[in-house]
Amino acid sequence: MASRSKSKTLLYLAAPTLVIAAVLALWEFAVRYKGIQPIFLPAPSSILKYLWVMIADGSLPYHLSVTFLRIMAGFLVAGITGIVVGILMGMSPLAARIVDPWIAALYPLPKISLIPLLIIWLGTGETYKIVISAVTAFFPVAISTFSAIRQVDGGLIKAAKDLGASARQIQLKVVIPAALPGITSGLQLGMGVTIIMVVAAEMIGGSSDSGMGFLLIHAGQVMETEKVFAGLIALAVFGAVITNVQKWLDRMVAPWVEKEH
Amino acid sequence: MDIVVENLVQVFGEAPKQVLALDRVSHRFPSQKFTCILGPSGCGKSTLAQIIGGIEPFTSGTVTVGSDAHQKSRIALGSHSVMVWQHLNLFPWRSVIDNVAFGLEMQGVDKAERNERAKALIASVGLRGFEQHRPPQLSGGMRQRVALARALIMERPVMLMDEPFAALDAQTKIVMQEELVRIYERSKRTILFVTHAIDEAILLGDEVVVMTARPGRIKEVIKVDLPRPRSQDMVNTPEFGRLYNRALHLIREEVLNAMKQQDAAVG
Repeated sequence: MASRSKSKTLLYLAAPTLVIAAVLALWEFAVRYKGIQPIFLPAPSSILKYLWVMIADGSLPYHLSVTFLRIMAGFLVAGITGIVVGILMGMSPLAARIVDPWIAALYPLPKISLIPLLIIWLGTGETYKIVISAVTAFFPVAISTFSAIRQVDGGLIKAAKDLGASARQIQLKVVIPAALPGITSGLQLGMGVTIIMVVAAEMIGGSSDSGMGFLLIHAGQVMETEKVFAGLIALAVFGAVITNVQKWLDRMVAPWVEKEH
Repeated sequence: MDIVVENLVQVFGEAPKQVLALDRVSHRFPSQKFTCILGPSGCGKSTLAQIIGGIEPFTSGTVTVGSDAHQKSRIALGSHSVMVWQHLNLFPWRSVIDNVAFGLEMQGVDKAERNERAKALIASVGLRGFEQHRPPQLSGGMRQRVALARALIMERPVMLMDEPFAALDAQTKIVMQEELVRIYERSKRTILFVTHAIDEAILLGDEVVVMTARPGRIKEVIKVDLPRPRSQDMVNTPEFGRLYNRALHLIREEVLNAMKQQDAAVG
């Protein structure tokens, strides 16, 4: 490693930043001097300007926070129901038998195709957006929880039993903690699809007039390409923040996982 | 606490593909003695320990631990014994102290008391200062000590050990063997120690039960009359050499038998 780390020179460390800067500079140059229409590809500088304007007039924070609340609502519903159903399936073979055909039938269905049906049933209000994202996120959470519980090392269960643990104590003190890392990775998958589905639902629900999906589709329809880019940047940053906060929370909940060599 | 096994039979699998793992095993494991069960891999020595510990049900025969006789598989064996596992089976999410105190926690011993007892045991196995570490943060030898402490805290008269030192490097293994000898000589429990290492079996045991290749039967019982306290130095004495050769001879026969069986099965 020693000889290798020597090759990690300044260039090695700065390379990603340099490439990003070069791409941005090239982009700016191409738009300004090579006659690319801003309506197709606005210059980074004007995107940045729009981003600032949208933050200053409060529209971006507003739409972002609306989307955030919808994501949290959908995620909460999916997280709780998914974990409960997954645990039930993992602990009771009967529950697993009952639920399994439903999951087998519904999991492969692209959930986005449920949107028309859900709009018929629920309209295009908040309920529809939360339901579609919760339904989508439910599956990865439930399936990950179920398999995490099923895959708990049998040796740990035998050892706990040998040390005098009752069946109930084994479930609570061994199976669930041992399954936690699997459950949190299911929640990460669930969060990913919740973000996608909330933004998609905001784009499709015709009467929606708030949220990042609405902002993007609206800006797109009136050809405000700068706004579209600004919205995409905001969403990317937002997604990264959520993912990292979640990873941090996972480390808090299951700190032993990373330290295993 | 005496352990008496009579005509113990263990069959694995369903009718056409049944495997006879233990074939009419009978033996009295004397109370407060250190008995090593030695045999080639696949001879059913771990199975025997797990049956005595009430961890696995068995097909037929009688197992008596202390005065409680257990026929067939239904009655819960294991209330007088505790197992130290080959793969340790420590709970990675629990700190060392919470691992060691696990058994007491299950019994409903209150936190202050169980922590105090766990702390004393952790110190006695040389892990003072590591109470709050988690098993994945410890070395193999240290984890081994945690597993030992977790079993010892149960204060059960019988301790079953299933190749507990097999995964350790040679130096750590020597240290842990001496540690175990020290614990045994102090506390005088009945210990059943499963191993495939001949030197380990002779160094630790009062008696070495040599098993045959599958199906597992007891081939011979070697009395080890080396004086206690034992130490690693005894490995170089002529008595140790004599016992080692005897066990090696028996094991070699069984390994060759096992290989013949495999050849027959393939051919």
